[in-house]
Amino acid sequence: METKKKFEIERALATENQAVSAGTLKEDNPLDTTETFRHFCEACRRGDLKVCQEMIQAGVNVNARDRHDYTPLILASLCGHYEVIQLLLENGALCERDTFQGERCLYNALNDRIRNLLLSYDYAKSSNPLQPLAAHITSLLTRPEPATADLTIEAYDQSFHVHKFLLAARSPYFAKKLRAAPNTTTWTLPQNIPSPSLAVALQYLYFSEVSLRRALHGLNDEEETHVLEGIDKIGRQLEMDRLFDDITEVSDRRLLRQKRAEEMTRGRDQLETWFKEHLLDNKLEVDTADVDNLKWDRDNSIYADILLRADDREEDYEPVETDASPGPSESSTPPARSILGLPVKSRSPSRSRKPRKSSIYPAHKAMLLRSEYFSTMLNSPFREAQQTPYLQIVTLDCSPKVLETILAFLYTERSDFGLDVAIDVLFTADQLFIEKLKQRAALIISTLGNGNSSTVESENPRGETDAEELIDIYEVIRAGWDTRVQRLEEFGARYIAYRLESYIDTPDFAEIVQESARRVKGRQETDTVELVDDIRYYLSDRFRLRFEDSGLEEMMEQRGAADAIVEAMEDLGVKDENEEKKDKLLGKEIEEQSAAGAIRTLDGELAGDEFAQDAINYQILLGKIDQLLENLNLDA
Amino acid sequence: MPPKMAVRQKPRIRVPNSLKGLHGDEVDFENTWVTIEAAFREIHTKNASRLSYEELYRHAYRIVLKKKGEQLYKNVHDFERSWLSKEVRGHMQQLLSPNLLAHSQSVASTTANERRVSGEKYLKGLKQAWGDHLVCMSMLADVLMYMDRVYCQDHRRPSIYTSAMVLFRDEILNSPLSAADERTILGLLNHVILGQIQMERDGDVIDKHLIKSCVHMLDGLHADDLESEDQRLYHVSFEKEYLVTSREFYRAESELMLRESDAGAYCKRAKKRIHEEEDRCRATLMEPTASKIREVVEAELIQGRIHELVEMDSGVHFMIDNDRWEELNLIYDLNARVDERKSEVTRSIQKRIMELGIEINNEALAASHAPAPAPAANADTGDKSKQTQEKNVNLQTVAAIKWVEDVLGLKDKFDRIWRQSFDSDSLLDTAMFNSFRDFINSTSFPRSSENISLFIDENMKKGIKGKTEMEIDQVLDKAITLIKYVQDKDLFERYYKKHLCRRLIMNKSVSNEVEKQMIEKMKQELGPSFTSKLDAMFKDMSISADLTSGYKKHVEGLGDRDPKRIDLAISVLTKMTWPMESINGSGEAQEGNRPKCNFPPAVDKVRRGFEQYYAEKHSGRELTWLPNMGTADIKAVFPKVPQKDGTFKERRHELNVSTYAMVILLLFNELPANECLTFEEIQAQTNIPRNDLVRNLQSLAVAPRTRVLLKEPMTKEVKATDKFFFNEGFKGNFVKIKVGVVSSGNKVESEQQRKETEKKNDDERNFVMEAAVVRIMKQRKELPHQKLVMETISQLASQFKPEVTMIKKRIESLMEREYLERIEGAAVDSYRYLA
Repeated sequence: METKKKFEIERALATENQAVSAGTLKEDNPLDTTETFRHFCEACRRGDLKVCQEMIQAGVNVNARDRHDYTPLILASLCGHYEVIQLLLENGALCERDTFQGERCLYNALNDRIRNLLLSYDYAKSSNPLQPLAAHITSLLTRPEPATADLTIEAYDQSFHVHKFLLAARSPYFAKKLRAAPNTTTWTLPQNIPSPSLAVALQYLYFSEVSLRRALHGLNDEEETHVLEGIDKIGRQLEMDRLFDDITEVSDRRLLRQKRAEEMTRGRDQLETWFKEHLLDNKLEVDTADVDNLKWDRDNSIYADILLRADDREEDYEPVETDASPGPSESSTPPARSILGLPVKSRSPSRSRKPRKSSIYPAHKAMLLRSEYFSTMLNSPFREAQQTPYLQIVTLDCSPKVLETILAFLYTERSDFGLDVAIDVLFTADQLFIEKLKQRAALIISTLGNGNSSTVESENPRGETDAEELIDIYEVIRAGWDTRVQRLEEFGARYIAYRLESYIDTPDFAEIVQESARRVKGRQETDTVELVDDIRYYLSDRFRLRFEDSGLEEMMEQRGAADAIVEAMEDLGVKDENEEKKDKLLGKEIEEQSAAGAIRTLDGELAGDEFAQDAINYQILLGKIDQLLENLNLDA
Repeated sequence: MPPKMAVRQKPRIRVPNSLKGLHGDEVDFENTWVTIEAAFREIHTKNASRLSYEELYRHAYRIVLKKKGEQLYKNVHDFERSWLSKEVRGHMQQLLSPNLLAHSQSVASTTANERRVSGEKYLKGLKQAWGDHLVCMSMLADVLMYMDRVYCQDHRRPSIYTSAMVLFRDEILNSPLSAADERTILGLLNHVILGQIQMERDGDVIDKHLIKSCVHMLDGLHADDLESEDQRLYHVSFEKEYLVTSREFYRAESELMLRESDAGAYCKRAKKRIHEEEDRCRATLMEPTASKIREVVEAELIQGRIHELVEMDSGVHFMIDNDRWEELNLIYDLNARVDERKSEVTRSIQKRIMELGIEINNEALAASHAPAPAPAANADTGDKSKQTQEKNVNLQTVAAIKWVEDVLGLKDKFDRIWRQSFDSDSLLDTAMFNSFRDFINSTSFPRSSENISLFIDENMKKGIKGKTEMEIDQVLDKAITLIKYVQDKDLFERYYKKHLCRRLIMNKSVSNEVEKQMIEKMKQELGPSFTSKLDAMFKDMSISADLTSGYKKHVEGLGDRDPKRIDLAISVLTKMTWPMESINGSGEAQEGNRPKCNFPPAVDKVRRGFEQYYAEKHSGRELTWLPNMGTADIKAVFPKVPQKDGTFKERRHELNVSTYAMVILLLFNELPANECLTFEEIQAQTNIPRNDLVRNLQSLAVAPRTRVLLKEPMTKEVKATDKFFFNEGFKGNFVKIKVGVVSSGNKVESEQQRKETEKKNDDERNFVMEAAVVRIMKQRKELPHQKLVMETISQLASQFKPEVTMIKKRIESLMEREYLERIEGAAVDSYRYLA
């Protein structure tokens, strides 16, 4: 793909400015002069993944621009931070061809790798991050199996099967109406509204991109007016005041996109509010021992049709009783129930130890279907798919906090969770086949887990040695393998490479190298050890920038590392007349020179300057890797 | 955890303990498997609704996460294998019954109904087993989803569902029927289905739905483990057998039907069978089989039989003659299925057209010869024979027109067949066109061109009177259709010119507009070069009209108005454009030596006057007068004769006579009453050619209604010595009297005339060919003989089809005249153009 010429970009900017000032187009990149944003831009410039991720989670606008008209994405591409760019793009940063900022970003990309990454996220190909959520909700209108609708709207010639919780979340009218009578199963459309109008309103309500033209296709003028009036009426009745304006066609592609994005965000926010106020607030905490006695009526104020259970982690509680049977077993004791259909918590205050708790979350099958696990479960004729008088309780193999995270993602597409649950979320998402959440978890681990450091070598020349360990990197790598997330293995390799000095000699490291080798063998792919290859790559990355400047790498290639070192030492007048003497002297010298601020290599050798030190360190680390592989009897 | 370096603190984020245990080896695989296996058993016995999906999934998930996927996969596989081989196979064996196992040879011992019932029972059993298997396996696959996604993908294993399908094939379909019977279940299944289909062909009603489900099963399974598209069991096992047995069945059936039914019935049956098979593939078997079975049915019912079918007594010949359009359509349809060119039907259609066409030709010949024409020797001896010859000519004209109408009738018939039965097939259109052309141009019938032209002539003169524009258009189109068939367009042109000439000059056409329309149509069909001369004839006519009025003005302008002035209406004809031979009259007098007719002085004055006028307008043009083509209106006054009421009254008549007759009558103006002129005297004074004179005198003195002259002796024949008087007692009922001249219309040519026409045509062709050869050579300079001949033929194709020998002769003649020379020493005969 050709990079645009300067004048073409300028022309794009001119038309864009015109549209913005005319008010037809909302600015894609609004000016943001806050200190927070400046801080964010700074992090993008430096390549500080952790800060970037934290600030994105805090809600900074990734598409804003600073006083110098730079967007975070432009800064990151200009400075060549591949991981940061990826992070920005995955969080909705726009790089759209034919727009000024988009072309500018491509134009400024430091290298082709970055340019290709940017191109692969072009809006035309990717889409709004909320699109998967919207698409799922839209599909609920037509999805035949399993039946999740709980309300039927009767029009005179047609009936529509819809979901109460969605109507309540999106339409204030329905929220009120259903709150008054949660058991309603039918609603009759007023006579004066034609059913096509209702169809359009429902599509809109279900996050579908409504095409008026399609809805009005084949109608004569009179019918068309009738339907349009109907849409207006139903919009007012359902108190969805934006309905009519929002579905009016606009031809401009970007304007359309903006409108759509706004509507999706609005809809998501409505869903989120509803999710928090109804689902989370109705969460129950019961003693695990009593959970089986819990009964929840089908008719309930939040229209839930399934209950999800998560038990508190065992390590936090001593088990109250040995629970041999995996999963919930049938219970015959009649439950205590309140008149509202909500269960009465049964407490046992006499217990001396704090009993293990289980959390019960009401939920809607319609939303759970986003996970392939649930969709298979609810489509297969097992117990969970059977119609029972009380809501079924499905246990999930995770902590309540993780379950909450998962539900939040399924209902709102939000995935703002901390490093503390990230690994749990990763595993659970893998188990439930929620691919996107898996990737988000991996992203969070690989950014937040990176420690308080920049990825830029110049700010961290000697590798990570003093940072606080946030994560157990071996477990992260293994989790990456178990859940098949490539990104985590790469992250792990990079993480270790930048701190190799402190890992290379540990038995843990040897063990994980061996595991990596076994994996490769098991999959019969290549005969290299993937992890080691990755570590070598990132190691060279770590040292590369410095060598390039000094031309040392070239020098070393010609003569070999040892010669170079010798030469460097000679230049400084350090003569190694004989080895023995040097060895003897070493201990003393180190002390002396340390005091004088001399520079030493990893094996205690005295190095001439920092460049020489790096060169020697690099060689030493590579040598150690080779040694390790040899010891483990592995080819690489 | 192994010890870490002292500087490192305990990491804040770790894998949860509940999952960490997974990496250890202390997995209780056996116990978990027992739980899973028990659940699978429940699933197979249809008790799944009590099982918890979540629980089973979690077990399988943990096993896979513990890297025991392989073991799990193997256990599931083994479980399924033993279930199929023990439970399901045993159940299938119970369904076997003696009349199901009976070999096809001993079928006779059981009734069809018994066999159908036991077959259906077996199919139902198998369908049930398959359906259960599918349901169970899809439930197993649901539970084992994590294993499929993770273990199977990583280790490139087929999914558990897929491998269970393979198991069904191996453990059920490919297993022997029973310990005693070596045949496989699959073999029996095929046999049963084929048996059912045979029953349906014999008219029974079978359970299509049931068979379809079994077929679906076969379609879902593959003979190999790679699941390649072409290895579906349905294709490799069932379909193959189905095609073989169907071939046998249809071969036998076609033989029987050919023996026992007529062609129409055969066609109907064949078509029905083809549709049946199509329906069967849709409703009972698989769609992709449709094309294969169609091939088989077509090969057996049509391909090998179509020739016999077409040639049957009740075949195409019969259908054409009896207007069996529907059957023709059927047979056409069948032929088209196996042969794009439909050669069998085409051949027989062409044959029939030729037969019928030649019949029409022969009828026409017979009709024209019917009153056996007097031998040529007698022709000029007796008056009688001449009379009969005239009559013959009339008869022949009628025959010619009948021929055209017959041909058109035939054409209509086949056009209708073509439209109704042959789907307006263009190939057949061409074939039929060729056949029509062949018989119309057949060498044994040389009169087509003339006949067609006569037909048009007839219509122009009489036929189109009182017809609407649409009808006229139809007539013209018919004529055009026929003209298109004519190969020797030049000959046709010659006749048409001749006939047109007479129509124009004698003013016989009903409508000049229609004439022009006809020319326009010919121009469209045959190109403007064909009609250029015809156009020129029309132009001459309109110029003549201008001349006439111009001359009239000129005369008026001369001032002294002569009361005895003679009005002149003149037609000036360009010599090259008009067919002079027909103008000069019956070929007696050759052009140039035509004796000049002596006009009476009054007329001669007009003639000179016009010549002078014309010479002023166009200098250097010579006018030749053709009195034989002209007519004159004469006001004649007859002496008073007593009327019925006794009064005497002068009678005035306006006589419309030919120019010659006018000349003759004017002679009697100067003659005293009661005197006479002999034939010879008349001839001497007028210098009218003898033949024309005889004819004119006949109409003036013999024909009873126009007997202006009296003849002595009063016979029909005119002899040199006959005397002629003015008939003072002439009585006419009308004021205007038209004196016709015998034999003035366009009639069919006599054999001799036709030969002459052909000869003339050939002569002209010689020029045309030479011109073509020279044109080609002038452009190419050098050309081998073969190519030259080819090009010449193609250049002249629109005019006529030259014979190669004639072209050769022309080339030789051109060489003699040194237009061309032979290239010496050329590898092939070649010529060079000499400028």
